[in-house]
Amino acid sequence: MISLHDVRVSYGALEALRGVTCSIESGAVGLLGPNGAGKSTLLKTLLGFVRAKQGDVRVFGESMPKSAVKVRQRLGYMPEREVVSPKLSAVGFLTYCGCLLGMSRVDAMERAHEVLNYVGVGESRYRKMETYSMGMRQRIKFAQALTHDPKLLLLDEPTSGLDPEGRVEMLDLIGELARRRKVTVLLSTHLLPDVEHVCDRVLMIDKGRVVLDAKIASLTQAREGAFEVRVRDKKEAFVRAAKEAGFAPYAQLTGNILVTKPPGKKVEALFELARAAQTQIRHFRPVRQSLEEAFIAAIGAPSAPAAQDGSGR
Amino acid sequence: MPIYTQTYRTFDGEAPGRFRWLVVARQELRILLGQRAFLFIGVAAYLHVCLRILQLVVIDMMANTGGNLLLNEMRNFSAMNVDATMFFTFLRLQMGVVFLSCIYAGSGAICEDFSNNLMEIYFSKPLNWRDYVIGKCAVLLAVGLAFTAIPGVLLVLLHNLFVPSWATVQETYWWALSTVAFSLVLVVPCVMGVLASSALFASRRFASIAVFMVLVGNLVVGRMLSQLLLKPQVAVLAFPLALNRIGESLFQQRRIIFRFPVHWAWIYVAVVCVVGFLIVCQKVRRAEVAS
Repeated sequence: MISLHDVRVSYGALEALRGVTCSIESGAVGLLGPNGAGKSTLLKTLLGFVRAKQGDVRVFGESMPKSAVKVRQRLGYMPEREVVSPKLSAVGFLTYCGCLLGMSRVDAMERAHEVLNYVGVGESRYRKMETYSMGMRQRIKFAQALTHDPKLLLLDEPTSGLDPEGRVEMLDLIGELARRRKVTVLLSTHLLPDVEHVCDRVLMIDKGRVVLDAKIASLTQAREGAFEVRVRDKKEAFVRAAKEAGFAPYAQLTGNILVTKPPGKKVEALFELARAAQTQIRHFRPVRQSLEEAFIAAIGAPSAPAAQDGSGR
Repeated sequence: MPIYTQTYRTFDGEAPGRFRWLVVARQELRILLGQRAFLFIGVAAYLHVCLRILQLVVIDMMANTGGNLLLNEMRNFSAMNVDATMFFTFLRLQMGVVFLSCIYAGSGAICEDFSNNLMEIYFSKPLNWRDYVIGKCAVLLAVGLAFTAIPGVLLVLLHNLFVPSWATVQETYWWALSTVAFSLVLVVPCVMGVLASSALFASRRFASIAVFMVLVGNLVVGRMLSQLLLKPQVAVLAFPLALNRIGESLFQQRRIIFRFPVHWAWIYVAVVCVVGFLIVCQKVRRAEVAS
């Protein structure tokens, strides 16, 4: 559906994308990266708003921005910035969007009501858009991207400005689109929990380069030889005994102990150590890497080694 | 427990055809016609048209009755005659309305789409910058011509209906052509100037003020230079005078007010139109494909 090969995009002297190569076939993909990493530029390149200096950009197999008009018929885009058409109501605005997509005015109005129902905009749809709250505007932006039942959705920070309840509703809708309607979603956001909520794959981008492209499940799988342990009492004695036995324990502020097993040692040894320290293990589970840790490790932040030595981030 | 699934229907519609700009133009027109201030300008413009129709009907009907004493009196009053001068004067007086309506309809046309971040939404649909520019220009052209060319040509037709003869047709056909040509000369630079200002400035208010300032400044500078240098042809720098000069030429007015060559006026108007159009294209194009 989307394929980029060695794509370079510059704004004057500033190189925003530096040889991006990736492909997206289906499902929900999270586009993560720090500020200025090139996420929005990547979306704009896919839409044909920005011309690549070098490389090949293809959406639905069509070259961009050469076939932009054809491609835009099948994709929906929700921009990051606040959008408002002050003289129109939500219904009027969506009807206009439908007309731009080639629908008759009657069809466009019908679909406008359908998608407004879908995103949960009620009677306020008849009010002028300038009177809407931030959350409402966010929903309208989302609705206009769905008007023509696109096969590909490009969403730029879809939950910004939403209250916690609205955020969950929005993420549920996006997830449903990806799972039930088989819409390919590219979700660009700073919020890692949003990506974990909706996406099954993540594309991390930093300084214009793709630094990580992986399934979320593989990133958050159990770390080999690292366990989270909680003992009934005598925590210090247990930590001391574990250290003496060659394990690498680290007491967390939460009261849990992160224990890294050295090669050759068995996990059962930890239970024996607890018995020797006259206590009991009450909680024991393998440590999973969080998406945040994977993100920090991928972009090479200084805190990355801390996560590996069991500091419990 | 929900008894239905909240969803929306699938859509496999075709992409809009060649006339995508028509959607933009229709929408702009729909919004304009819903605004009272615009309707008020329209009514004011058509009051003048109604007065001209009245003038035409009275003069033509009296001409048909023949030998009317009142008609002979009125013929001595040149402003009441139905001739090329009447159409020229009609369009000159409509110039103010065209200017006002273009400012009202066009000053926010592009800048508000930019400031409200609507460009990203529009260009994420199957629409390119050409469709957008043509749509915006078309609606302003339609508005301008609705106050000039359309009533002007209708007046010519009405005159032919009241005095139906081959001689009338021969005498008046070029009035219609000159009316359309002069209307375009009035409307096109106005549309391009206002749209260029809208593309250059961040708000409707700044765009309107800029057009007013440029026009007033240009008029003052043109007249002052012409007086200071004692060269009447320098007055062509004043844009409204240049338009007037073209009108005089198109309607073959013997009483030429401004004695500068008409080709300079044509060149000036053409340059303003082209520069305005290029500014609009450049700005809008950058919103669709930035680099």
